[in-house]
Amino acid sequence: MRTEAIDPPGISWQRVSPRYVTVRLAEWALGNLVAVLVLSAPLVFVILGWWSWPPVWLAVTVPAAMLVLALWRLVLIPRQVRAIGYAERDEDLLVRGGIFFQRTMAVPYGRMQYVDIAVGPVERALGLCTLKLHTASPGTHARIPGLPVAEGARLREELTARGEARLAGL
Amino acid sequence: MTADGQLPAVPPAAAGRDTAAESDDGWQRVHPASPFVRGWFALAAIAFFFGRDIFERALQGQPVFEEGLGRRAPWLLGGGAAVLVVAVLGFVLTWYFTKYQVSGGYVRVTSGLLFRQHRQARLDRVQAIDIVQPLLARIFGLAELKFEVADAGESAVRLAYLRIDDARQLRATILARASGAAAVAVPGAGFSGAGQPARAAAEEPEFPVLAVPPSRLLGSLLLSEQSFFVVVGGAASVVLSAVTDNRAFYFYLVPAVLGLAAGYWNFFNRGYNFTAAVSPDGIRLRYGLLDTQAQTLPPGRIQAVKVAQSPLWRPFGWYRMQVNVAGYGQSGNAVEGNTRTILLPVGKLPDVLAMLSLVLPDPGTDQPAAVFAAGLNGRDSDGGFITTPRRAWLLAPFAWRRNGFAATDTALLIRSGRWWRELVVVPHQRTQSLALQQGPVARRFRVADLVLHTTAGPVAPRLAQAGLDEARQLFNDQSARARLARKRQTTEQWLQQVAPAAGPMTTSTPYQKEGQQHG
Repeated sequence: MRTEAIDPPGISWQRVSPRYVTVRLAEWALGNLVAVLVLSAPLVFVILGWWSWPPVWLAVTVPAAMLVLALWRLVLIPRQVRAIGYAERDEDLLVRGGIFFQRTMAVPYGRMQYVDIAVGPVERALGLCTLKLHTASPGTHARIPGLPVAEGARLREELTARGEARLAGL
Repeated sequence: MTADGQLPAVPPAAAGRDTAAESDDGWQRVHPASPFVRGWFALAAIAFFFGRDIFERALQGQPVFEEGLGRRAPWLLGGGAAVLVVAVLGFVLTWYFTKYQVSGGYVRVTSGLLFRQHRQARLDRVQAIDIVQPLLARIFGLAELKFEVADAGESAVRLAYLRIDDARQLRATILARASGAAAVAVPGAGFSGAGQPARAAAEEPEFPVLAVPPSRLLGSLLLSEQSFFVVVGGAASVVLSAVTDNRAFYFYLVPAVLGLAAGYWNFFNRGYNFTAAVSPDGIRLRYGLLDTQAQTLPPGRIQAVKVAQSPLWRPFGWYRMQVNVAGYGQSGNAVEGNTRTILLPVGKLPDVLAMLSLVLPDPGTDQPAAVFAAGLNGRDSDGGFITTPRRAWLLAPFAWRRNGFAATDTALLIRSGRWWRELVVVPHQRTQSLALQQGPVARRFRVADLVLHTTAGPVAPRLAQAGLDEARQLFNDQSARARLARKRQTTEQWLQQVAPAAGPMTTSTPYQKEGQQHG
């Protein structure tokens, strides 16, 4: 399905590193495979004859549905990663993401209170980091994942400098 | 209180440690009676625990001193006295170690005996300031001063309790510093705080704007959604009891009724005698039946406003207004946080317009009354609103003609709801960040939602189902408008930014009560 992007036209988006797909795969494996395994447990018990309930069809359907959902998510991951983007404009930073549920956010430099960099274990192994932006509003949940470490550090310095230059009160 | 008599005896014991801080400029303590006012419940509990025996005996008409008491009396008295002494000593020590100071651009509060806590709040970041008087404090003429500071990142700074006159005085001083009035008068920050009454700022004059009559408050409570559920729930249980011939359904009502009564009482107690006034310090809200509270919202500290009307209120033309103020959202107590964000518990259209004129002194349009009235009651393109396009009516079959937005030079107005009408006003310079969102269904209809992020609070500005092109346009325009508005507002000290704004303010005469702003 070809979709029309909601973000304003004429912006050259910076994309995040393709290696971020690996991070998402690790997260996917951790979340979905565990869920599938847990949901398969009743099936095993039923087959072994330890449990009489649930009926076999139900015990098969639930983990199967979960597996299909998990595979669907897996297929989407590369596209989702490609959809993440950010753009530094003169006065604000644009962050976009999502394919089905698209979101484009503008965070003015003057409103940033602080900028965080977080690195998880998988990200560290791949030399990536996640940048988080905080304003006075809890609704600003802006994060740019999958940045190469050097780019993350550059962006943090850049944003902090711009923020200080334009800092406004609340 | 009897406690006053014993207080002077305690400080010398501990005074050796803290003399440096004490002789320092302008450190002050709260009123000596305050721990007792705050801890009266503990004292009452101790008295109850140890006096219950004797009290019950007296009630039952038995001899107060039974034969066994002779043996138990020393233990009982000793235990009671020990607990009492520990409690009182604790109170006295907390009182002794709680000190505050207003100097330079800061308010500093230190407290705690074992775990010292030192809080420091920048005055030019004061978002709002309240004087709270719980019933007992009111009886003793005491008050708690509570203020929200944007840079602290945590809940309010509290000073409890001060004499009511001192509290007012301190509020005036803090507001004068925060507004920049004191900084203008006394250049250089070598100003040593509220310790010098001669320098303390005088209280600013204020002008009443509106009052909510108790009858209207009562009416609004009776016509609340809560009442609707009471009636429906009551009817349902009566019907169920009748049909099933089972009395048990009445019993389910008992806890519900108790909870509801508490809710009603809470709202009535807090909303009673609501008055709003304006002073150069900001908007003053006063309310309360038993516990009274006086809130001051300095100009420009309101992040977003919501005006709402439920279908039950429509025949009477009543509205409720709520605000987002930085810091109010995070106050620990949910009920307290709720009432503090109410700008107007119930009011008619002129009241709403008057309050809006206070919140937004410069409406940024030629006919503010018409635009805001269209926002409250209008639909389609009344007042310059742009609504959900016709192609997307299926997404909001009732509300699509009302869901819409209008932008003035100073604020964005977001209108929504057919039955539960809502108008959200966000001043451009208060927008933190904004986001466009679109789900798969919305994409089919080429519409998108625009979300404005403001500080935590009851108002969550969200423009639902705007046409994609309009939303994109608004996204760009709004970024630009917010940027311009931020440039215009450069300082936290509002007197300096109110002065240049005085020109355009006077030109908008149709907007009510503008003249009083300059009082």
